[in-house]
Amino acid sequence: MAVTTVYGQDTVAKLFRHVARERGERVAMREKHLGIWRAVSWRDYGERAKRVGLGLVALGLRPRDVVSIAADNCPEWLYTDMGTISVGGITNGIYTTDAPRQVEYIVNDSGTRFFFAENEEQLDKILESRAACPGLAKIFVFDMDGLHGFQDPQVMPFEALLDLGARYDVEHPGAFDAMVEIARPEDLAILVYTSGTTGPPKGAMLSHRNILFQIAYADYITALREGDQQLSFLPLCHIAERTVSVFNPLKTGATVNFAESIDTVPDNLREVAPALFFAVPRIWEKFYSAVALRMRDATWPGRLAYGWAIGVGTRVAEARLAGRRPSLARRLLYRLADFLVLDNVKRSMGLHRARGTATGAAPIAPELIKWYMALGIDMREVYGQTENCGLATAMPPERIKLGTVGIARPDTEVRISPQGEILLKGPHVFLGYYKNPQKTAETIVDGWLHTGDVGVMDADGFVRITDRMRDIIITAGGKNVTPSEIENQLKFSPYISDAVVIGDQRKFLSCLVMIDPETVAQFAQERNVPFTNFASLCRTKEVQDLIAGEIERVNKQLARVETIKTFRLIEQILTAEDEELTPTMKLKRAFVSKKYKDVIDAMYTGA
Amino acid sequence: MGDPLLTVTNLETYYGPIMAIRGVSFSVPERAIVTILGANGAGKSTILKTVSGVMDPQKGTVTFAGREIQGMDPDKVTRLGISHVPEGREMFPFLSVRENLMMGAYTRRDGDRVKADLELVYGYFPILKGRADQRAGQLSGGEQQMLAISRALMARPRMMLLDEPSLGLAPRLVKEIFEIIARINREQGVTVLLVEQNANIALHVADYGYVLEVGRIVMEDACARLLEKEDIKEFYLGIKESSVRGTRRWKRKKTWR
Repeated sequence: MAVTTVYGQDTVAKLFRHVARERGERVAMREKHLGIWRAVSWRDYGERAKRVGLGLVALGLRPRDVVSIAADNCPEWLYTDMGTISVGGITNGIYTTDAPRQVEYIVNDSGTRFFFAENEEQLDKILESRAACPGLAKIFVFDMDGLHGFQDPQVMPFEALLDLGARYDVEHPGAFDAMVEIARPEDLAILVYTSGTTGPPKGAMLSHRNILFQIAYADYITALREGDQQLSFLPLCHIAERTVSVFNPLKTGATVNFAESIDTVPDNLREVAPALFFAVPRIWEKFYSAVALRMRDATWPGRLAYGWAIGVGTRVAEARLAGRRPSLARRLLYRLADFLVLDNVKRSMGLHRARGTATGAAPIAPELIKWYMALGIDMREVYGQTENCGLATAMPPERIKLGTVGIARPDTEVRISPQGEILLKGPHVFLGYYKNPQKTAETIVDGWLHTGDVGVMDADGFVRITDRMRDIIITAGGKNVTPSEIENQLKFSPYISDAVVIGDQRKFLSCLVMIDPETVAQFAQERNVPFTNFASLCRTKEVQDLIAGEIERVNKQLARVETIKTFRLIEQILTAEDEELTPTMKLKRAFVSKKYKDVIDAMYTGA
Repeated sequence: MGDPLLTVTNLETYYGPIMAIRGVSFSVPERAIVTILGANGAGKSTILKTVSGVMDPQKGTVTFAGREIQGMDPDKVTRLGISHVPEGREMFPFLSVRENLMMGAYTRRDGDRVKADLELVYGYFPILKGRADQRAGQLSGGEQQMLAISRALMARPRMMLLDEPSLGLAPRLVKEIFEIIARINREQGVTVLLVEQNANIALHVADYGYVLEVGRIVMEDACARLLEKEDIKEFYLGIKESSVRGTRRWKRKKTWR
């Protein structure tokens, strides 16, 4: 039987109460305030979460009421999350980049009664749509800056809620402990809305058991101790970040540090120097590009030293990949390379203390993982989805097969359906989609979760994902092509931040490319290529040739039918607010194909 | 409008180790008014200084009337037909208004034409004629700005570089001065490169505009079209769509499209 208790506790509510008491004054999290990292102890974390929970109860929260949080990562997010779960409520995260009508959809679909807004900006979104949200009872605001003169019967500052909770606690001693006991392990704990690339977003229901099962294996990537640091910057609405930054620390006791913003991640990373770092491929690609570009500008002895050290590192990494132990001479040489060069590279990224790193949530080029391994960073690819509460497979430490996402995590099963779809079974499989039995029935069949991903599994149980089921391209010639493999190769270029391969029902493959504004601008500047704004940069012959060259490089690695014959650049800098991108900055294939239809058609009529 | 009179390509200019202009390219057609908008520290003045030869670029070319002029001494640039009206006017406070104006004609050898031009300048700014013998330091801010523009005009330039002519002036005066700039451009055929923080007036006077942010051009278009852009409206014209609450403090993200 799979382990679904942690420290003898069988629900998230009980586990949180337990660890907050046990750990007392030890540091649970840090937030930078006016340039200084300020610590929050587990005792304060527990106390504030309790006040949030009781404050909500005082305002009429009933068990299984839904509480939505629209905020970037911050301590208040966690107080609200744990507070709500502690009193039997259900938490749901909303992306801060969502437009008002998306917020409205999710609030209504989830039946949200209480809404937490980070600040004025998020408050405006809900105020704009609240007339269409009849179920909404109260709105709370974390940061009241700029709202001094603002009065509204439905809106309350977060501080006032905490006071309310504290009073309720005094007037009803023991009430909180009784509420912590309400939830059963199989009960719904959180809702996670999956970004709907096709159709509206769906609310995945995750139970206490799902979450505890994942927490129980918190040490799977690397064993963490209390006092170890983590950096939290990916959206908490995403199950991966939620697991890594909120749930897993309940077991490990590691300290979570909140990045000031997505732009300061490289700086914050150097300050925090985490023991465990989880990031999406886009971040890993960016770090790599930064080092690659810096080395290009370095003096020749610097370049020489870097080239030599990476060479040594690569040979050690290759030995490890082949399952061999490198020779003593090689190990000594590696020590020297690490001492002279590689350690400095790791320090410049803030990864010199990282005992473990993981990449997931999107496909990554194997070359990139190898580069990090050459640096001496233990990077493991993980795979999973919202519907299985995060981790489904991971690269085992003892045997690494690049290009695969590793093997099924303990106590779960993976199977490939006759159609090639990856199926999952285990205590991590979710309860279903909120108020959507039809989609639930399509997704969970006989206890097997249908992931929608296509892949293969080798004799050792290593899973290789080829693509999303619905993304597979069938060319006019009837050839099946898996676009994401090609796209990953393209993204490995420092000049390409994302690409969408097109070719369904078409004679040949083409692609839309989103270039990296920084690196390409630098490229143009170095070569005296005149440009003004981003669109004119994209149109210069040199940039077109540069990207054509990058595509040619990838083409060489592909089979004949699969080569990309032509491409176009997306002549706009896209941000997370744009509908073309998911909140994790991936291009949405379906949306992009529709929006850029004219551009795409032109590639096929012109050629 | 024909071939551009001034073409700047890939300009990089440093203040010591700090890169103030990070690769800027733009062009100014003959007889046009082109404006460069940007916040404090965006690098607007640096561009003008680099064009007029006060600063030397690390990289890039400045082509004026078919001739590369980057790194040339300022006096040579002036002789070629570029007059720089610096930010903060920079007149000679202890010289009279007339003497200041004559300083502008310092590079010229055609004496009687200079006299005629003096009258021309007085025609544009009659107030300067009345104050011809006063010390320039005694003029009001608006008058000083007029003097600075007039002094530049005295060199009979093909092109004027105007660095924030609206700085520190009352709105009515700003309007007046800009009307005269437009007239000079129209009547004398002087090409104008205008750097401004007052986006509203600059966009109404100029034909074409560039937006500069931390040393890079992020947007360019005809001024009429720039006036319609969301980012220009919010960040340069101060026009905000008000929220449901009637006020709004938070800013949208700039996307420059």
